[in-house]
Amino acid sequence: MSPLLDVIAAAAAVAGLLAVGALALAIGDGVAGAAVAGRPIRVLPLIAAPFARAALAARTGSTTTERPDGAGRAVAPALLAGLAALAMVLLPLAPGVALADPDTGFVVYSAAVAFVMIAVFLHGWSPNSTLPLHGAYRFGAVALSFQIPFLLAMLATALPAQSLSIVRIVEAQASLWNVVREPLGLPIYLVVGLAVGFWGPLNLPDGDDLAGGTSAEDAGLARWLWQVARLSMLVAVAALGAAAFLGGYFGPILPGPVWVAVKTGLLLAAMAAAQHLLARVRIERFVGVAWVLLVPLALLNVFVSGAFLL
Amino acid sequence: MTSVFRRMAAAADAPVFALAGAGMRWAVQDLRLADGVTLVDSPRSASILLVAGELDPRLGEAAARVHDSLPHPRATVVWASGPDGLAGADAERIGHDADPVAAARAVFRDLVLGRRQSEPDLLPDMDPAPWRGVGPYGQGGSGMTGGTPYGRPMAELGPDRDGLRLDVLPTRLGPFFAPLPAGLELDLRVAGDVVVEARVTGSEVGTSEAAGRSTFVRALTQPQSIADLELSRARAHLRWAAEALRLQGLRAISLRALELARTVAPGDSAAVGRLATAVQRTGVYRWSLPNVDDRRRSLLADARLGPVSRACGRAEDERLADPAYIALGFAPIADVGDGVAAVWRARFGEASQSLDLASRAGSAVTTVTGTTESPRGRIALGDAPTARALELVPALVEGLEWGDALATIAALDLDLDELAALAGVTAA
Repeated sequence: MSPLLDVIAAAAAVAGLLAVGALALAIGDGVAGAAVAGRPIRVLPLIAAPFARAALAARTGSTTTERPDGAGRAVAPALLAGLAALAMVLLPLAPGVALADPDTGFVVYSAAVAFVMIAVFLHGWSPNSTLPLHGAYRFGAVALSFQIPFLLAMLATALPAQSLSIVRIVEAQASLWNVVREPLGLPIYLVVGLAVGFWGPLNLPDGDDLAGGTSAEDAGLARWLWQVARLSMLVAVAALGAAAFLGGYFGPILPGPVWVAVKTGLLLAAMAAAQHLLARVRIERFVGVAWVLLVPLALLNVFVSGAFLL
Repeated sequence: MTSVFRRMAAAADAPVFALAGAGMRWAVQDLRLADGVTLVDSPRSASILLVAGELDPRLGEAAARVHDSLPHPRATVVWASGPDGLAGADAERIGHDADPVAAARAVFRDLVLGRRQSEPDLLPDMDPAPWRGVGPYGQGGSGMTGGTPYGRPMAELGPDRDGLRLDVLPTRLGPFFAPLPAGLELDLRVAGDVVVEARVTGSEVGTSEAAGRSTFVRALTQPQSIADLELSRARAHLRWAAEALRLQGLRAISLRALELARTVAPGDSAAVGRLATAVQRTGVYRWSLPNVDDRRRSLLADARLGPVSRACGRAEDERLADPAYIALGFAPIADVGDGVAAVWRARFGEASQSLDLASRAGSAVTTVTGTTESPRGRIALGDAPTARALELVPALVEGLEWGDALATIAALDLDLDELAALAGVTAA
């Protein structure tokens, strides 16, 4: 195949993986919500609902605000979705199979996570409206607090592999998964992963107390795209989490890609449950816990992982 | 293809933004349980505007502005409101006894399938005030901040609070801001995420006969069945819980609380206990709700705000002056911990206690003393707890982060219907 076709095929593969994952999370969220609410779980309507919402979004017109930053409003969802896609490109699906395997895969993933703040801030800033702006400020206020433990939790997985390549990180788990080798890593990663996707208890920029926050002025397709971009980021966080901590494609009997899907699905299910079972955390509380508890624990995790290699 | 696409869109839940007029707060809240419609928090994400009940005429322009915020295609359903309900809109008007869900679904379907025209704006698309700024980007004042271009103040640097000078952003909330009761309007000045100044600038939603007929208002002038009164109290606390839980992002448990509010019966205190346990397990008491310092605690304790004051340690309750309640062995629940979490625990505790009282009250009736303990505190002719609470709002929220400020306001259970009803009783 020509390089152009390679790129198109890779883009289609990533888009397909993200779309399937986002759809699974949307449906799982509906199932978890109905279960927690004690309402009947009607499977077919829950599966059909995301498609109907997409069709309605496409049918709904756009709105504008007073003197918005039009380019920023357009770019923000694309940037967030692009960052999710960038992370997914690194995902090893089977031994030797990943769309990209740079030696610095860990750094690329970390950079994608760091840039989420730019996307969210742009999304809140660009409508030139107070509630979205408050949401943007909030995310800026907590971003550093979750990025550092996130990076440290991931860094510990690079030590056994002695490589920053995500493929090597998975290969190093052939005999022992990182969730066993460094048990603090996955819980820390999941907590901060919720913050990266501003989801559930860490949905601070788009919270109900801001009537939607950075999304408060979005209508129609723009709103839908932002929601899809956010779900995609959560899928990427879950998929890379499954690769870094749960052994990626390793598992008995089933083919590697199936194990990747199963493990990613498990982490997405945990996220869907967290959305309905855990209350939103106060910003001050989260920042305090992140610096006082998560960062030291993540550092301890790195030291312990390193000690095993000595 | 287009037809299939439109039919798919029409199958979606109709996104509805509701303006709850006088006496319709709970009727609108019940729509959260309905299949086929979704109540949304922002008019931008709605296709249908539901005007429920009579709106105070002073809210007319704000309601029209909300209407114009909806994206096209859009339509309005006016429910149980007179001909003036959102005057000018080519709305579907239905009576009080009609089914608003069926009406909203039908209008939504017609709208999406192209059988109904989208409604035009009600207000002219123009700047709200003449341009008074000096720069090309609306800054209006010196440098890049300050000034009041287009009649609205811009952000400007505030005083140094903790080593960092932040922009102070003037923010108006309401009168139709989803986390607050319809009709309530707050002017805030916010630095970063901290409310540095707050003023209540509006608290009118209108008056309705229904609000005046509430059991608690009637108990001021006529004996009422204690069983009915306590069941109403438990339901009011559960309805409050549904809104407060939603504010903390717990939408699913919020629906559970709302369902319980509609179906709970005398003696069902175990069901309330199970809900309270589920709420506690969400961690909301540990990491979501703010503390209340001694100054605020003292203000709340003195204001006779029912469970709020009792949670702050003041065991005052008008029911203690009623021999019928004494005969039932009633004792108020007081001082159940610190902060807003204590108010939550108090309300769940009182809901459970009320169901127990309702099951034991038999045919006992209240004694008319001129005051009653409503779910929000002591009420009397011309004296509503919501009025006392509104006076405290600035002192309560200044210095708090945004989320803490709204959680504190939510804990007060402001009821503008009760406020209007008690003012009406005085006038009569």
